[in-house]
Parts: sequence; C-alpha cells; structure tokens
Amino acid sequence: MRDWQSFVRARLSLPDLVAGREARIVRELAVQLEDFYREARAGGQSEAEADAFARRQIGDWERLARDLRTADAVHVRPALDRASDRYIPRHGTEPGVISMLVHMLNDARYGLRQLARTPGFTAVALLTLALGIGASTAIFSVVNGVLLRPLPYPEPDALVRVHEIVPQYGQFSVAPANLLDWRQQNTVFEHIAGFNGDRATYIGDSGPVMLTGASVSWDMFDLLRVSPALGRSFRAEEDAPGKNTVIVISHGFWQRVFGQDPSVLGRAITLSGVPVTIVGVMPAGFVFPSSNLDYWRPIALDPANATRGGHFLGVVARMKPGITLDQARAEMKTIAERLAVQYPKNSANESAEVRSLHAEIVGGIRPALLTLLGAVAVVILIACANVANLLLVRASVREREIAVRTALGAGRGRLVRQMLAESLVLSLAGGALGVALAYAAIPAIHSLSAGSIPRVANVALDVRVLGFALGISVLTGILFGLAPAWQASRTVVGAVLKEGGRSAAAGGGRWVRNTLLVGEVALSIVLLVGAVLLLRSFVKVTNVDPGFRPERVLAFRVALPNASFREDHQRVAFFDRLLDGLQRIPGASAAAMIQSLPIRNDYVLSFSIQGRPEPKPGDEPSANHRVVSPDYFKALGIRLLRGRTFTPRDLEKSPMVAVIDEAFAARHFPGEEPLGRGLDIGNGSDGFYEIVGVVGNVNYGGLERAPSPTMYVPFKQDVFSSMWMLVSTDGDPSKLSAPARQALLEVDRSLPAFSMTTLATVVDESVAQRRFSMLLLTTFAAVALFLAAVGLYGVVGYTVSQRTQEIGVRMAIGAQRADVLRMVLGGGMKLSAIGLAIGLVAAVSLARMATTMLFGVQPFDPASYAATASVLLTVSLLACYLPARRAMLVDPVVAMRQE
Amino acid sequence: MFSAELKKGSTEMLLLSLLESRPRHGYEIGKLIESRSGGRLTFALPTLYPTLLRLENRGWIKGRWVEKAGERERCFYRLTRDGRRVLAQQRRTWREYVDAVNDVMGIDVTTASRA
Repeated sequence: MRDWQSFVRARLSLPDLVAGREARIVRELAVQLEDFYREARAGGQSEAEADAFARRQIGDWERLARDLRTADAVHVRPALDRASDRYIPRHGTEPGVISMLVHMLNDARYGLRQLARTPGFTAVALLTLALGIGASTAIFSVVNGVLLRPLPYPEPDALVRVHEIVPQYGQFSVAPANLLDWRQQNTVFEHIAGFNGDRATYIGDSGPVMLTGASVSWDMFDLLRVSPALGRSFRAEEDAPGKNTVIVISHGFWQRVFGQDPSVLGRAITLSGVPVTIVGVMPAGFVFPSSNLDYWRPIALDPANATRGGHFLGVVARMKPGITLDQARAEMKTIAERLAVQYPKNSANESAEVRSLHAEIVGGIRPALLTLLGAVAVVILIACANVANLLLVRASVREREIAVRTALGAGRGRLVRQMLAESLVLSLAGGALGVALAYAAIPAIHSLSAGSIPRVANVALDVRVLGFALGISVLTGILFGLAPAWQASRTVVGAVLKEGGRSAAAGGGRWVRNTLLVGEVALSIVLLVGAVLLLRSFVKVTNVDPGFRPERVLAFRVALPNASFREDHQRVAFFDRLLDGLQRIPGASAAAMIQSLPIRNDYVLSFSIQGRPEPKPGDEPSANHRVVSPDYFKALGIRLLRGRTFTPRDLEKSPMVAVIDEAFAARHFPGEEPLGRGLDIGNGSDGFYEIVGVVGNVNYGGLERAPSPTMYVPFKQDVFSSMWMLVSTDGDPSKLSAPARQALLEVDRSLPAFSMTTLATVVDESVAQRRFSMLLLTTFAAVALFLAAVGLYGVVGYTVSQRTQEIGVRMAIGAQRADVLRMVLGGGMKLSAIGLAIGLVAAVSLARMATTMLFGVQPFDPASYAATASVLLTVSLLACYLPARRAMLVDPVVAMRQE
Repeated sequence: MFSAELKKGSTEMLLLSLLESRPRHGYEIGKLIESRSGGRLTFALPTLYPTLLRLENRGWIKGRWVEKAGERERCFYRLTRDGRRVLAQQRRTWREYVDAVNDVMGIDVTTASRA
C-alpha cells in the first residue's frame, strides 16, 4: 500500500495557512483515502484497482486546495507574514551554499512569524534598537563627514600645513621672508604656498558690500590640484607687487553677482577702489582656505622687501610622491633652525612644524566627536542588553516550544541558528528604523553645530554611514541574540516537558538577566555622570561674568581703504562723524568702537614700563592691546575702579594716556600705585603712555580663559583703519542694524557695514561647540536612562508574573500588601543599587579622561555624582513600583487557582 | 442525481445531524449519507471535508484525533453545544421551508410519498 500522506502532501499545497494547519489537513485526507482503499480491498478488488479507486476520490486537487483555503480562512496567516514566502523556496534540497541560504531565509521567515505573534515585545525591542542604532548612526554620520571623509582635493594625503614655532607663542603664522626661503631651500615639497585672508569693498547694484577673499601664492590652485571651471588660474609673473591686478572668483560670487554669465572672463571690476580683471571662475564646492569666499588674488610677496619679523601668513604644501610626513617635518625643522641662526635679530630660536592639512582642520573637534562616539557605543550596549533581556524573558516563556522542537530532533546548532536569525530579523528592522531616525536628526545636527564644527556641511547619510548602520545592526543582532541562543541550547528537554513549562534552566536565566540589567544600569550611570559633568560645565561657562554687559549691544565692522584714507587725520575724522551719527540713532544709548572684539579676538603687543630695567630681547612682557573710543567702557558697562577713562579731550596731540585693567595692575604693579606710571607700548619709538585709570577685567580671549592683562589706549593716539563699531540700546539691538547702516551711508556712500551681529550672539557662538557636545551627551544619557528603566521594568515585571502563585500563597498565609510591595521593590532596587555602585566606580575612572572637556567642575565633583545617583534611584523606583503595584493587587485565591 | 446547487444548501445540516447521536470520523460520515439516502445522496471527499473544516472553524463541531483499539488513529468530530443549537434551528427552518414549498407547488405530502 502506498504512503497516502506523501501522496497527499505531493499534490496539496496550502502555504497560506498558519503552521501546523496544513499538516493536519494532509493527515486527515490521507486517513480518509486509506479508508477508501481499504474498503475497495475489502470488497475484493486488487491492490492496483483499490489504489486507483482511492486516488479517484479527489479529482481536482487545485480546486480542493482553494476550497480548503476558503473553509479554513480563519487560519490564513497575516498578509505581511505571507509576503516573506515569495523570497523563499519551499523545499531546500539544493546543495551547499544555496541550501545554507535557503535555511537562513527559512529561519528568518520563522523569526518574522514569531515576532508578528508577540507585537508588544516586538514594539519595545524595535523602539530600543531604533534609539540605539539611530543615535549611533547619527553620530557616525558626523564622524564620517567631519573626520573620515577625505578633503575635497585630489590626493589629499600629501597636503600639509607648515607653521613656524616662535619661542614666546609656540605654533605661529609664517613670516613672508621665511616662506620665500622655504620655497627655495626645501626638497620635500612639490609646491609650497602662502595665503592670507583678504577683504575688499565692491560696489554692486544694491550698494557697497564687503567681499571676503584670500590672497594666495600664484601656484596655490596647482598645489591643491583644482583647476578653475572657467578661464585660468594665476601665472607666476602675476604674483608680484603691481602685477597682481587679476582675480579668480568663486562659483557663488559668479552666480550671485554675474548670474553665471560666461563672458565674465576678462571683465574689469573695482575692488576697494582698485581695478582688477577676472581671469577665472572656480568650480562650485571649491573651498580654500575657508568656506564662502568670493575671490582669490595673487599674494605678491616682494622678495626685495619681505619682512622676517611680521608673522601673518598661512602656509600649505604638497609633499612630493614618496615623501613621508616625518621626512617633511625633519627637513623643514632643519631649514627653519638654520634660518634662525642666520637671522638672529628677527628669528632667534625659531623653528618650524609640519602637520597634515586634515589633522589641522579637524584636530580640534576630534576628541569631542570621539567622546560622543564612545557615548553612543554605550547606548548601543545598553540597547543590546535590554533586548537580550527581553529575548531571554520570552525564551523562557518559549522553553516548552524549544523543548518540543528538540525532542522532535532539532539539533542544538539548528536551534541556536534559529534564535540568532530571529534576533537578526529584529535588529535589521530596528536598524532600518534607526536610519530613519538618524535621517530625521541630521538637519538638527546641521543647525546645532553650524559654525562650531568644521566641515559639518559634509554630514549626510552616504554609503559609508548606511554600511555602518547595517554593520552595527548585524553586530547588535548577534550580540543580543547570543544570550537567548545560548540558553536555548542548554534547555533540558525532559525537565521542561515534565514541569509543564517551568524549568530548572529558569534559575540560570535569571542570573544572566540580572547581570545584564546590572550592566545596563552601570553603563547608563557612566553616561549620566558624563552628561551631568558637561551640563554643569556648560552652566558654569555661561555663568562666567565676562566683565562687560553683552546684552543689547549691536556690533559691526567698518574698514577704511588705504587708497582713500591715507592719513590718520582722515580716519579720525571719519570715525568721529560715524560715532556721532550712531549716537544720534533713536534708541541708542551709547556708541563706541574697538579694533578687536571681546571674546573673539586676541591682539597682543609687548611693552615696557617706564623706570624699570630694559628686558632682554625676546623677554619683553606682553599684554592685550585695545584701541577704543571714549564711550567704550560706558557702552559695554565695564567698571571703572580707579582714576578715569578716556575723554573726547584725549586727542592726537595731547599727552598720551592709557587705561589698564585689574589683571594688568595685579601682574605688573603688585602693591604699587599704577596711576601716573608710564607704559611704552610696541617698539619704543612712540614714547610713554601715562596710566590714568584702572578698569575691571574683561574676558577678551573667551569665557573659558581667565582674563589676561589688558591695556587700553585712545583711538586718536593709535589710529587703526578697521574698527568694530558698537551701539548699545535699551531695546532689541538687532533693530538698530538698519539705522546703523544708514548712519554709515550718510558718512560715506562707498563703505559697507559688515559682520553685523550682536555681542550676545558673539558670546553665544563662543560656547556653541560646548553646547553641541553637552546637548548630544545629555540626549544619549537620557536615552540610556530610559532604556535602563525599561529593562528594569521588564525584568521586575517578569519576575512578578512568574511569582504570582508564590505571592498568592504568601498573602494567603498572612503577608500584608506592604510586605509584597517591599519584597518586589527590594528585589529590583537591589539590582539597580549594584549597577549604581559599579557605574559610579567606572565613571570615576573614566571622568579623568574627560577633564579637558570640563570647565569649573572637578571630574570627581561630588554634587554631580550625587545628582546622578538620585536621578537613577528615582527612575528605578518608578520602574519597579509599577510591577510591584501589580503584585500587591494579586488576589490570593485567583493566584493559587492558576496552574 | 440531484444537482450540486440543490445539495449545497443542505450539506451542513446533513453533517450536523449525523453527528447528533455520536462522534464520527470523516469517512464514516460520507458512507452514512450514502447508505441512509439509499445511494441517492453522495458527497465526494472534496465537498465533504472542506465543509467539516468550515463547521469546525465556526465552532459547531469539534474534531479530535482518537486511536481506537485495533484501528488507525482517526479524527472524530462531535457536535458542540453551539452546533446542537444551530442544528435545532436548521431543522425547524428546513421543515417550514419544505412545507411552504410544498404548499406553493400543490404537492400533497401523503400522495407524493406514496408515488
């Protein structure tokens, strides 16, 4: 007699029904066909006749399948589940790789079904993974865009910056004469070129605008290996004084001002009153040395007249093929030190340093980004621990299923593979959600970090970031899948089947779950401590008294071209009229000016004190040097401590006067009377400034640097051609920008007001990078805390559900609700206390590494640690209380009847 | 013999009534219909079995695999409490329907059965 089951199975296919259903139907049809066969045999027919008779009972198998599917519609699988079939062959008999692939896909399909069956678990796990993977993908996209992506020049690894090392200041800008010597003497560079920032007034259709550009050595574009998109770059002969009347313009400027007109080549325009010819247009996206430049022009250093004492050039170079950074470094050091010996007057003890251009650009942000990357790694670990715990809880619920499968002959390897497939399905889905989260976060990253992080415009979800997300998803899937897979492989079949679903392995499972939970709590503590330390640092920084009142002050720059303002008295007259005009703006309470803005810029000069022995060359004291108008102290609210500030009567020809700050007085006149003493500022040719007043300290070098000694002199006694104008008001300072521009136009129609901002913005921007790190780390710590709380809730909740019966018994024999509450809370809180202790120890040892990111807070700041601990304990208490309440409300009678 | 259309409306009722007295397996049900109708009513396996599935899914009958002494394991279907209620309702409806049809068609039940 034939095997009727295989007969039916070969003809009937019901792939849409839930697992087990098809088997049942096949079995019953086979039994009935066999009945027909036996009936025929009993009626005296031959085996062949009986077989044919039975087979005739079902003529149209396809129609039967259709009818069965309709009749059994309640057992049709959900559409989503069925969709996965399309990619999976039904019977994997193919050899080798194909068969393995089929197995894997089958496992994945099985995993998908398991997940669809427990939507609550799946949702929590997916959310956890999406947060973890999303956060790390977002940060990696920053790391990728800022640190990993190559610079936008061909063969960028050969590009370097060359600096001078000056004894007093360390790394320093390069003196033109030195650059010219380096060009001639070095053998390691293909090109070495200097650059300097440049500005020019351009009178366009909408009035004068300030263009920003750069003056560069003629071969700069060759060095970078970027050619103009239109026209040509500079010629060697154009890089000479008087010949440098050509410019190359940027794509943006070309677009904005010339509407991309290709006939712009050869056109003459006027920059700051000087006619120049446009010879080229750079391609869109070309950036050097900074972004958003309008033009480049030849730097035209004069070999016959180059200074060796004035350091103001940036220098880049391209190493010859085969030359290493170390070789370049060694040769440049040798050359610079030889020049230092050769020119002791200007270059004594100077040296040079070579750094890769990439490190130069992103070196500053690197530690912060790597710290954040570490933080997201912690978030990922917590997410893994969380999901592993969820899976373990579920695995113990599924112990019976696993035991049955083992009993039916599923090998351990097969089971482990299946559990891993399930967790991979989960982690890949979580990863997809995470990528969506990261995609949504990128605009926020752009706006949060604008201006504080170099190259941040490059941050995007590119192939590498997606690859990273995929990799991290697979990795997390394996990581959190291992625990339950390992547990599944250890299941003792007999024990589970006998005990009706609760096994001896549960004890071991609990140990693993508790360990994971403790780890989660500990890791989130580390992040929380870090976040709190950064948060407190941020608060400290923003609470620093900068020594002036930045609120309600408008600031903008005005630069006088040398061509039309050749003499000091012309400049003085101009700024007098401008200050007067600004003063008259309705709502303005004071108008003042300074050559270098607080917080942002340093401008340091050496000086000597009248009556003190002449210091050795190179040993002169130096201090901040500020040139201000009389109302400067009033406009910014700087306190006068002694003597007087400047008055309109401190004129060009009147006795030279200076005001110093407290830090200057403390450093140079400790215990002495500074008023009436003389300062020789600069190189000693001007005579002595008499100190007439002492004012409060101002943080000129930024909020995070202690105020350094500063000396002020009146503008009229030390005239600059470029000044920052400051207008204070009682209202919104940005409302003054239009009247301020108007006031400038009324004095001179050809001059633009540029870099318009408010002092509050300047202060705010100075802490932008700190705010970026702080906000991100705080976000990650919050995510970590949330995940740990979910984990705690899950584990305590599971314990309660497993112990319902026990709790019922306890209450039946007299335990009070409060006792139950205490028992459950105690169990959970014990775990979180252990995690807390471990986490605090780990945080203490890690905090030392974060010292450079802290401000005004010790890495072992007790308040921060106490705050963190109390936040964690509060959240833990909440996470444990919810399930504990459920335990408290257990009805002993109902609980004991269970089983 | 009878058209499929005609049989379709009564299959469920027939199956339910056969299970009223005791649980039976699928093959037995098919054979019983055939013998009780004197061979006039036959339901092939492809009709019978999907109907059993449908009835079970509605909760009117319940199948259970049983191994009886000396026999192979078979699925025996029994009527559930719901099924019993449905059967009673269907019997009533059927009787009323048949009476109504007879009245309309002018068939005297006594003559008809005699002929």
